Amino acid sequence: MTPAPAGAAAVRAAAPAVRRLAAPALRVAALLGRRLALLTVLLAVVFAAVELLPGDAASATSDRGEGAAGVARRRHLLGLDRPVAERFLDWITALPTGDLGTSARGTPVTGLLSAPFPNTLLLGGTAFVLTVLLSLALGCWAAARPGGTVDRIVDLTSTAAFALPEFVVSIGLLLVFSLGTGWLPAATLTGADGSPSDASMLVMPVLALAVPQTGWNTRVVRAALADQAATPHVEAAVLDGLPAHRVLLHHALPGALPAVATGIATSTGMLLGGAVVVETLFNYPGVGTVLAGAVADRDTPVIAGVVACAAAVITVVLFLADLVRARTLGARP
Amino acid sequence: MSVAAAPGPSRGGRPPLRALAAAAPFLALVLLAPAGPLLAPHPVDRPVGAPYAPPGAGALLGGDQLGRDVWSRLLHGGGALVASALAVAVAVTFLTTVLGCFAVLSPRLGRAVERTADLVMLLPPVLGFMLLALAWPGGRRLAVATAAVALGTPYAVRVVAAAAAPLAASGFVEAAVAGGERPVHLALREILPNLRSTVLALFGLRFVEAVYVISVAAFLQLGPQPPTPDWALMIRENAPGILLNPWAVVAPALAIGVLAIGTNLAADHLLPAGRRTAALR
Repeated sequence: MTPAPAGAAAVRAAAPAVRRLAAPALRVAALLGRRLALLTVLLAVVFAAVELLPGDAASATSDRGEGAAGVARRRHLLGLDRPVAERFLDWITALPTGDLGTSARGTPVTGLLSAPFPNTLLLGGTAFVLTVLLSLALGCWAAARPGGTVDRIVDLTSTAAFALPEFVVSIGLLLVFSLGTGWLPAATLTGADGSPSDASMLVMPVLALAVPQTGWNTRVVRAALADQAATPHVEAAVLDGLPAHRVLLHHALPGALPAVATGIATSTGMLLGGAVVVETLFNYPGVGTVLAGAVADRDTPVIAGVVACAAAVITVVLFLADLVRARTLGARP
Repeated sequence: MSVAAAPGPSRGGRPPLRALAAAAPFLALVLLAPAGPLLAPHPVDRPVGAPYAPPGAGALLGGDQLGRDVWSRLLHGGGALVASALAVAVAVTFLTTVLGCFAVLSPRLGRAVERTADLVMLLPPVLGFMLLALAWPGGRRLAVATAAVALGTPYAVRVVAAAAAPLAASGFVEAAVAGGERPVHLALREILPNLRSTVLALFGLRFVEAVYVISVAAFLQLGPQPPTPDWALMIRENAPGILLNPWAVVAPALAIGVLAIGTNLAADHLLPAGRRTAALR
């Protein structure tokens, strides 16, 4: 991003200030450009993969006994008889406007996803926030006394937790909260607008997503703090006799943030993918249901649309992690 | 991430007792899963009681949604999961190790590996194998295994490359380079033998990841189809009856849980502290 053209003289007069502001802005723009380029490449790969699939949307949804002429007519109607490159260009230029293309049944994919995708984002986002808070808290608690009882217990439970598939965690939660205590219903009840009827419906799905990812990220936080504890500036703070919690939070944690941000950002994909699984089990009204239907119908445009949405969300989170990393590493060249 | 320390001499040779103890559940399940069908008291495809019958005289763990014996289906349901997870873990570890050893010698290959890993990170694994399941309708287990290998390899190559990087800069490799050794010799004879502990731990972690991917795919009914007995599929099919006969769901969930946790704890013991964090996914 170049600074706005505001008169050459003024720019020259303010040159040092502009340079001070422009350099970080340029760096941020470069990071954003890199992430967007990766996103575009992934979308191209997905689109090409969809193209290479045997059978297209027109034949996948053909009614029994429909003749070749009917299929050809619908192929023309869906625009599938145009060159691949042209259709990819149309698809990808329409994406930023919120148009995800047309499903095999002829309905807009955006319309199919507009109600369930926010529900899935709510589920994944809540689990994301919970994961960040829990893993930072647990990682710091464990790092406060390296090798102590808390450290060993946190290490063991986090290792155990992140190995578990979300649906296995869900079964454990169902046993405790529905079967054992009867506190929560086993399936999601939805209101008139198709969203979960109240917040308690979110408790089990969110926990099922957050438990494995918290296990993983607690380990990332713990390892990053251990790396920081060995750096000279943290050792100096310890030798200065600063209280342990002050050393941990003000000296070790800031340096650990880049590694933590990267770790948590890589969890985003697992959270979104896991959401699809957990939704199936709890009958939660998210994209999981739409995807299950799309797989059964071989409705590839819908799946490509979900991939595009998920990849966009992951790109945003990875970009935020890039910013955290650039900020921390930039402050200490 | 924290991969600063050179791998140093392998910790292998004499596995510590604690690692063996941690690996016990994993080894027991891997050995028992193929033998399970021999111990099953009932056929897996015919009802022996009422649907969701509670545990009783005829059926140790009760009946499933069609009244079939849960215990027999449990004994049948792990063999294919364990076998395909092992196959995926072997394939990914092999590919990753070879690619990783070459990636540290060739900057161009190294960059390509980095870019691919960045790219794959944007695709949640669940969506990845849904796409592949669509592309390959008859693929079933093979399609899921292929997706697991394709999606798991790029990130794991990074891990091996990170562990191998200090080796590539070490004196003995530089001496071999100066001696005019070819890249194949450098990668396979100089670098690879020093990565034993990394590769062993990587194998354990890839097995955990493979169990995750394959069981999630089965749960989403993309892998084995009913009426195949399969732990993940049993959970999916019997979940509506969890209030009537919890064992039909809890027993397979426990089996997957023990398999995953046991393997993960065993792998954890194999990897030197600190390197662990970088070694998964």
